[in-house]
Amino acid sequence: MTMMAQQAPRTILERFTKMNWGIINVLVLIACVGVAMHFSVSSGEWTDMPLTHGLRFAALAVVMFLAAMALDARFWLTIAYPLYAVALLLLIAVEVAGETRMGATRWLDIGPVSMQPSEIMKIAIVLALARYYHFLDPRRTGTVLWIVPPFLMIVAPVALVMHQPDLGTALMILFAGVCVMFLGGLLWRIIAAGAIVAVGTAIFAYTSILHDYQRDRVNVFLGITDDPLGAGYHVLQSKIAIGSAGFFGRGYLQGSQAQLDFLPEKHTDFIFTMIVEEFGLVGGGFVLALFALLMGLTMRIAANARSHFGRLAAAGVAATVACYVFVNTAMVIGLVPVVGIPLPIISFGGTAMMTVMAGYAMVLAIDLHKERF
Amino acid sequence: MSKRGKVVGSKLPKRDVDAIFSRRALLLSYAGAGVLGLILFRLGQLQTTNLLSGEYSDAADDNRFDTRIIAPPRGVIYDRFGTVLAQTSKDYQVAVIQNDVEDLEGVVDRVRQILNLTPEWARRAVIRVRGGSRFEPQPLQEGLTWEEFNAVNVRLPELRGVVAQSVDVRAYPYDVVYAHPIGYVQKPTQRDIDRVLEDPEQGQSRAVYLRNPHVRVGKAGLEAEMEPVLHGEAGWRKVIVNARGVEQGEDERERREPVRGSGIVLTIDHDLQRIAMQNFGEQSGAAVVMDIWTGDLLAMASAPGFDPNLFVNGISQANFRALNENEKKPLFHKCVTGVYAPGSTFKMIVGIAAKQAGVDDDWSVSCSGYYPYGGRTFHCWRIGGHGRMNMHDAIKHSCDIYFYQAALRAGPERIAAVARQFGLGQHFDVNVPNIRNGLIPDPQWWRENRGEGWTGGLTLNYGIGQGAMGVTPLQLAVMSARLANNGYAVEPRLIRDAPGVRDPGRPPHMSGIEPEHLARVRDGMFGVCNEPGGTAVRAGALELVRHPETGAATPLTPDNRHWEPVQIAGKTGTAQVRALGANRGRHFSTIEWRFRDNALFCCFGPWHEPRYACAVVVEHGGAGSAVAGPIAKEIMKAALLRDPSRREPARLAALEPQTGRSA
Repeated sequence: MTMMAQQAPRTILERFTKMNWGIINVLVLIACVGVAMHFSVSSGEWTDMPLTHGLRFAALAVVMFLAAMALDARFWLTIAYPLYAVALLLLIAVEVAGETRMGATRWLDIGPVSMQPSEIMKIAIVLALARYYHFLDPRRTGTVLWIVPPFLMIVAPVALVMHQPDLGTALMILFAGVCVMFLGGLLWRIIAAGAIVAVGTAIFAYTSILHDYQRDRVNVFLGITDDPLGAGYHVLQSKIAIGSAGFFGRGYLQGSQAQLDFLPEKHTDFIFTMIVEEFGLVGGGFVLALFALLMGLTMRIAANARSHFGRLAAAGVAATVACYVFVNTAMVIGLVPVVGIPLPIISFGGTAMMTVMAGYAMVLAIDLHKERF
Repeated sequence: MSKRGKVVGSKLPKRDVDAIFSRRALLLSYAGAGVLGLILFRLGQLQTTNLLSGEYSDAADDNRFDTRIIAPPRGVIYDRFGTVLAQTSKDYQVAVIQNDVEDLEGVVDRVRQILNLTPEWARRAVIRVRGGSRFEPQPLQEGLTWEEFNAVNVRLPELRGVVAQSVDVRAYPYDVVYAHPIGYVQKPTQRDIDRVLEDPEQGQSRAVYLRNPHVRVGKAGLEAEMEPVLHGEAGWRKVIVNARGVEQGEDERERREPVRGSGIVLTIDHDLQRIAMQNFGEQSGAAVVMDIWTGDLLAMASAPGFDPNLFVNGISQANFRALNENEKKPLFHKCVTGVYAPGSTFKMIVGIAAKQAGVDDDWSVSCSGYYPYGGRTFHCWRIGGHGRMNMHDAIKHSCDIYFYQAALRAGPERIAAVARQFGLGQHFDVNVPNIRNGLIPDPQWWRENRGEGWTGGLTLNYGIGQGAMGVTPLQLAVMSARLANNGYAVEPRLIRDAPGVRDPGRPPHMSGIEPEHLARVRDGMFGVCNEPGGTAVRAGALELVRHPETGAATPLTPDNRHWEPVQIAGKTGTAQVRALGANRGRHFSTIEWRFRDNALFCCFGPWHEPRYACAVVVEHGGAGSAVAGPIAKEIMKAALLRDPSRREPARLAALEPQTGRSA
């Protein structure tokens, strides 16, 4: 170990003050946007929805904060493979004994807790690959042989999640994994080969693997079919809401598309549409700016991390959150097919928020304890 | 900065993972910023598109605004004195909004239990509702009693999507009495909607309007013919709806109130119409009472009637089948649709034609009960004959032999011409649908349609109103009126006062008609009802007298015996419905109903100053004197006692001062 330029924080007070408050503030701001939007979803009343959202965030934020104070990156390095193994086993368990909701088997009931193992996998894949590259000889990163283990580590959960079927989450796991591999030093010629294979696979998947409803969504997106009452209805209504919003929006609680229920799934996948409808291009730009700031701060932590694991893991979390944001917003404006990805910390629902907060517990720890590991 | 150990002996080229990470992290950040920019660009693009074309704003408005039609209240129909015969009243209904219901069958079944209806009803209701709008309330059951309405109302909280509503419906307070002249309204059929869709300009919006569950259009009688006047103009409301179509508010500035349809004042006298209907009892037939000067139809009764209220909300199949298959044809408006051989009521026409042909009062024939002609024998209705007959006696006794020979002297062309002048076989538009013209055949018609020449035998049949000819009760009333008014071409009318309806003015005198000829014929008709041996003396026995000063008719009492009697003149008719003579010699009760003779009677009165003409047909009633006469007598008695033509009629302007779009 080299000499540390700075002393690692030891006391609780030190850890508290040296915490990355920038990231925490951005997260709280984003969560506040979420509460405000759920208040609007509830037609301007304090129903369970905005309250639950706020309290859930608060509780997870406290856990995140305490975890970041207590556990440095070595903890995450230690649990990387076991967590990945557990997540993979749970995915297999879902395959065997999962509960089917709305046509997809994604849920697993363990006693009173109902969970989606695919969400755990989003963090576990980042950790596992970061650990793999952390201990891999840099010279071996350039070989084909040593690409096989991370490749398999990605393919196994992606295949299982795809089979549930949950195309959106599968693509997110794939993307997060590929990002970590890329940052870990994947050779460009292999990336090029992989891209060719990916395009081939996409074509093959479209013709033979995708489920009908998934193919419908792709068809509508590609303009092959025009189906305003079926798969295209969501995006059509979303585009109407965004297009008619204007620069400053229709005003808080005033979005007709959202308030009159023409916009479906406005509290989950299409909440960004509601933000734009009520607060306009300005509001939508503000929320995107918040996420951009979050990504930027996270990437700075990655850049400053001492350990290879730390920077790969932090960058992986950033990539995962970026993937959430980009896919979700691109989806609601009709740039990509509807795949059912929420806007993190704003969309209603516990699982995505938990994934992101767990990721930031680690990111904050990597930052806070960078002198230690 | 790397802290990790090196693999000893590796021949692989060195790679600087730190530098690679830094470069690639930067690259990914740029890529992320690029994606972010793309998303922002797309947001801006959507809004720019909208700024240029308004596409998305229009679509959002299309979503949230919905135009709800307000069906206009239909015009009221009054009798000549202002009695309301058809109006708009409140109906209590239970309805369902499909879009708010998850399990339609279940909800309908709950309503079924509350209202105690059959499962068959529920099955039909579900089918009907599924065929209608998803967002507008679709009626499940109409015409609820107040108790049923309340029973549904208290359970509404547990019946999501079900609404209890009171809506305007057409109501006919005197149901059977006006089933035919006024008719009924119904929901527009798919046929109606298809028909308006053929209009490229207004068709689409009109079709949308017709699909509104509260819209009714006239389907029979005046309701159908006067639809444009009665319907009024639809109003609309611009409402804000949510995605399920549930109303959230209204843009009051965009509201347009409906315009009530205009009222119509009929020529009908309600009391007379009711009495006419009542007098038919169980029998099938028609009666028309007409003012001989104005042409006002004071009564237009077709029996049996039916309840038009049954049709307003859709008649059940069983009810409709019962009406449609009834051999007495209650759905037919027999006054204008029933075509009957006039029988002996035609003899006045033959008489006038004979007069025109030069037959004078002294000309007489001897009736021995039969008349041989062209190798056949033609019978008089009276076996054994009437003896010597002049025109007066021949009408009075309805002697067939006289009129066989009178017809031969007049000739079929002349008879047909007179018959048409008096309205037989003529079209009279009295604003009801399905008016039939009947037929007055002549030799030319016979050649063209039967392909054979006219024969003398046909002329003989012509003389007693048999054969191919057919007339309607309305035409018989017109004939009687024109006889009574001395030959003025009065036209019947059913509407006294409505927008666009003008007073017809005094009718013109018919050319070539000698009042003197008519007087002879009328004398014969007087004899029918008032002289010993007349075929309808019983019908003539009105037992009415008139006040010496006012002239008002009043029932005969011991105290007013010395007053002048009020009398009528008329003519009976008995017309075979199958080949002449087929029923001869058979007892009435042994003949199947539909083969029995039709009974006819036409008359006018009061004799001293005629004002009212009346025609009665009783289908398969038997002899005119026995069946049609008594009914006509009661109707005429009521007409003379009430004397509706001399009383102040109602005016639409007084009944409905605020009708029409004034604002």
